[in-house]
Amino acid sequence: MVQAMLDRELKKGSAELLILSLVEHEPRHGYELSKLIDSRSNGAIRFHVASLYPLLYRLEKRGWIEGRWVEKAGQRRRRYYRLTGEGRRVLAAQRRNWRQFVEAIARITGVQHA
Amino acid sequence: MRDATSDAGSQDWRAEIAERLTSLRLAPAEEADLADELSQHLEDRFRELRIRGMSDMEARRVVLEELDGEGSLASKLRDVVRRRGTAPAALGTVARGSLLGQLRQDARYAMRTMQRSPGFTAVVVLTLALGIGAATTIFSVVNGVLLTPLPYRDPQQLVVFYGTSPEKQLPEVSFPAGLFVAVREKSRAFTNMAAFEQPGFTMTGTGDPVRVDAATVSLDFFRVFGMAPLMGRTFVAGEDRPDNTSVSVISYGLWQRTFGGDPKILGRVIKLNGNPSTIVGVMPREFAMPNRTDVWLPMSLDPAVFNCWCLDMVGRMKPGITPDQATRDLIATVDAFALSRRDVFPESKPDDHAKIIVMPLVKRIAGDIRTPLLVLIVAVGVVLLIACANIANLLLARASVRNREMAVRCCLGASPRRIATQLLTESAMLAGTGAALGLAFAAVALRLLRRLPEGQIPRIDHVRVDPIVILFAVGVTVACALLFGLAPALRAARVDLQTNLKDGARGSSSGGARRVSNAFVVVQFALSLVLLAGSGLLLKSFQRLLSLDPGFRADNVLVARLQTPYPRYDSAQMVRSFYDRVLERVAAIPGVRAVGLTQRAPFTRGNPQENVIAEGKEPKPGEPVVVSNVRNITPGFFDAMGTPILKGRSFRASDGPEAPRVAIVDERFARHYWPNGEALGKRIGPQGDTSAARWRTIVGIVPNVRHASLGEDPSLQIYEPFAQQTTWTNYVIVRSTREPRSLVSAIRAQVAAVDPEIPLYEVRTMEEAVSRSLLTRRLTNGLLTAFATAAFLLAALGIYGVISIGVAGRMREFGVRIALGAKPGNVLQLVLQEGVWLAGAGIAVGLLGAIWVVRFLRSLLFGVSAFDVPTFVAATVVLALVAIVACLIPARRATRVAPAVVLRE
Repeated sequence: MVQAMLDRELKKGSAELLILSLVEHEPRHGYELSKLIDSRSNGAIRFHVASLYPLLYRLEKRGWIEGRWVEKAGQRRRRYYRLTGEGRRVLAAQRRNWRQFVEAIARITGVQHA
Repeated sequence: MRDATSDAGSQDWRAEIAERLTSLRLAPAEEADLADELSQHLEDRFRELRIRGMSDMEARRVVLEELDGEGSLASKLRDVVRRRGTAPAALGTVARGSLLGQLRQDARYAMRTMQRSPGFTAVVVLTLALGIGAATTIFSVVNGVLLTPLPYRDPQQLVVFYGTSPEKQLPEVSFPAGLFVAVREKSRAFTNMAAFEQPGFTMTGTGDPVRVDAATVSLDFFRVFGMAPLMGRTFVAGEDRPDNTSVSVISYGLWQRTFGGDPKILGRVIKLNGNPSTIVGVMPREFAMPNRTDVWLPMSLDPAVFNCWCLDMVGRMKPGITPDQATRDLIATVDAFALSRRDVFPESKPDDHAKIIVMPLVKRIAGDIRTPLLVLIVAVGVVLLIACANIANLLLARASVRNREMAVRCCLGASPRRIATQLLTESAMLAGTGAALGLAFAAVALRLLRRLPEGQIPRIDHVRVDPIVILFAVGVTVACALLFGLAPALRAARVDLQTNLKDGARGSSSGGARRVSNAFVVVQFALSLVLLAGSGLLLKSFQRLLSLDPGFRADNVLVARLQTPYPRYDSAQMVRSFYDRVLERVAAIPGVRAVGLTQRAPFTRGNPQENVIAEGKEPKPGEPVVVSNVRNITPGFFDAMGTPILKGRSFRASDGPEAPRVAIVDERFARHYWPNGEALGKRIGPQGDTSAARWRTIVGIVPNVRHASLGEDPSLQIYEPFAQQTTWTNYVIVRSTREPRSLVSAIRAQVAAVDPEIPLYEVRTMEEAVSRSLLTRRLTNGLLTAFATAAFLLAALGIYGVISIGVAGRMREFGVRIALGAKPGNVLQLVLQEGVWLAGAGIAVGLLGAIWVVRFLRSLLFGVSAFDVPTFVAATVVLALVAIVACLIPARRATRVAPAVVLRE
């Protein structure tokens, strides 16, 4: 129940921020992204194919990330996503907003930031 | 159990994904990409679950649950995948998105098509680049010289006017001051008018003596043009006194060149012919009337002067007045004045009308180059038309090869309009690429044109690639694209699916396309014939001109001008003494074979004239007196020029100022007065002179010398001894035994030794002068010949292409014929017949066209009739031969058909 709520709410508001943060320093493919989100949120947030890829394509369409097919010997080709210049600006702005939002919630609810 | 890492698994996942994507109806390429990426994810997840210990089936169930647990994949992807930009430009799919998007798609596709056939693309683009480049170059000259308005206020109101007297062989007659003053007072068609003369002056006081182009102008002169001085003022009332050189206005060019743009130039005193003159004004850079004048001086107009017909005139017509109305007004004014002043116009009669020409200033400035420019722009347009027809035929031919492609696209849902648009986009891109190259070509060509000697093309500084020229190039490009793109596009839009899918691959072209192609070939041949005939006529004229005997030998002759300034040299005696010493010193320079003096050398401007009558042949009252050219020369002149004495003798030193007056005449003069008799010993003299000293005895006869241009009709010519008729400004003619230019500094030194304040100017060799007089003609001929050659080569290519395609499409037919016993000769004849018919039709139409068109060339022809039969025959034969050769190649191909092979195909 809690899991489902968290999932819905977080995905709605912050999914973009999550993806952009994860590809900030190195290009990653879709499966890697979903694994990282899963493990770093201790399973609290999960992305599967039908939610992850439409989001990736939307971000790519907006020009915030860029996907590129990479072929490695002996493997099937994979599509890696990396942050674009525009994406970097958006990421910085979203981080700022998120911080302000969390601080504001904390001041009102008394819940301390970890 | 399946191995979790086997490839078979991945195939499965692909299928799962593909199944869920069907409702999206993606382009195949995009669907493949998506399936690749998503199935990889599923496979990774599956593998992970297996490693965690799940069974195949369990893992598979989890993966599929996760896939579908979040709702329909297709619906989530719908608004993001469609425009991911990786879709190929698939023609044939129904147009989606904006018009711009469609255009971009078409352009991309066209680009790929162009890259696929680089040879075809290169031929088309280069043809267009040359055509559009040449057209743009010539248009920029037309634009700069003929179309750009003069830089003066309401320039369309500005005209020059002059009298004309064809019966006296005088195309242009200037006015005397008395007549000009009367016309200025009485004429009602003009706001104002001004008179000017163009003497030369030697300017000193600014370093070395220099020669400046000066103009003496009436007070109204600057007002006529409506242009204020850049600095200072122009002339004011009271300054128009006779020979007043005390004030002057200078040009922007002289101000910059000689005075370095000195801001304190006003009030500075220069010396003109030794007389001090204060600079009171500087004109703006664009003021260039008349010609390249550097110094303007005030002119006095004496209403009583009727003996010097030497004023040039310019006027500003009142608003709304046309040149025709102005002409009628001037004629009426002059007629009335002539009748009221019988004392100065004794020959005037009430029913006699003055002959006056009013010419727009812009036309006057463009001068002789107007007709060649118009001929060239038409010629280049014709070449472009022929080129477009060729490209259209190439595209039609290709279209028939591409019929299958079009048909397939139609089947896939492309509308005929869509296909036509696509083909037009291809044409537009070809034309656009050609135009871009063409503009670069034009820029280079214009740079070369600017290197021509000054004065060859008037207003050359206005000739540049400006917005109007670019607009022209764009217009031409669009017209070209439509011309060569429309026919193939329209044909493609009427695709007949069944037929094309069946036999499109064989590359035959349908009847409609062939009719269009054939029409193009006929038009090409017609236009080529017009151009060939026209350029043939011009080349023949040029040949005639070059083969003429100018009456002198131009090789190893140097010409230079000298002026003894008045009043420092105020007597004929002083002037003669100066020139005698100069000639003596120049003759002593090593390498000088002969030296002479003349008032006007051949191929310099100006032609001194006099009404001359022969003793015993005086004209009856009312009969016109034929005007003769008169030149003063020294005894060495004919030797220096290389003009032989045909009869009698040359002048001698003994023909001095006090000796009996003598003259030498040319053959034409001698024949005019004494057609059957002997001119030697006869006497001639100026009309109206009744003194005892008027008669000059003819002592020699020389051939006719062409003084103004090779093409001129020589007028009657009289030579008088310089010693008996002294002029202040003269040309030194030097015949040398070595390269004449090498003598210039030595001659300059000798002149300076006699008088250091007199400059040597207008230095040139006679060969340069002759070749410069032919330059415009040579340029016109060269360009027109190039255009004509291009035209007939293009026409040859055109007919070759059309016949080739025809043959390719009829291979089966020829196979059948040969199988049925036709001989190669019969087949050859069959193919040639078609070509000959096409070329013949074109040539026939072209002959009619040429006969109509050459009339516009008439003013450029010399010694050749506009309907010169040999030229027309030659043009016809050349074209016919070219057509036959061009058809022979495909015709021979047709004869080599192996029936067994074609019929099996």
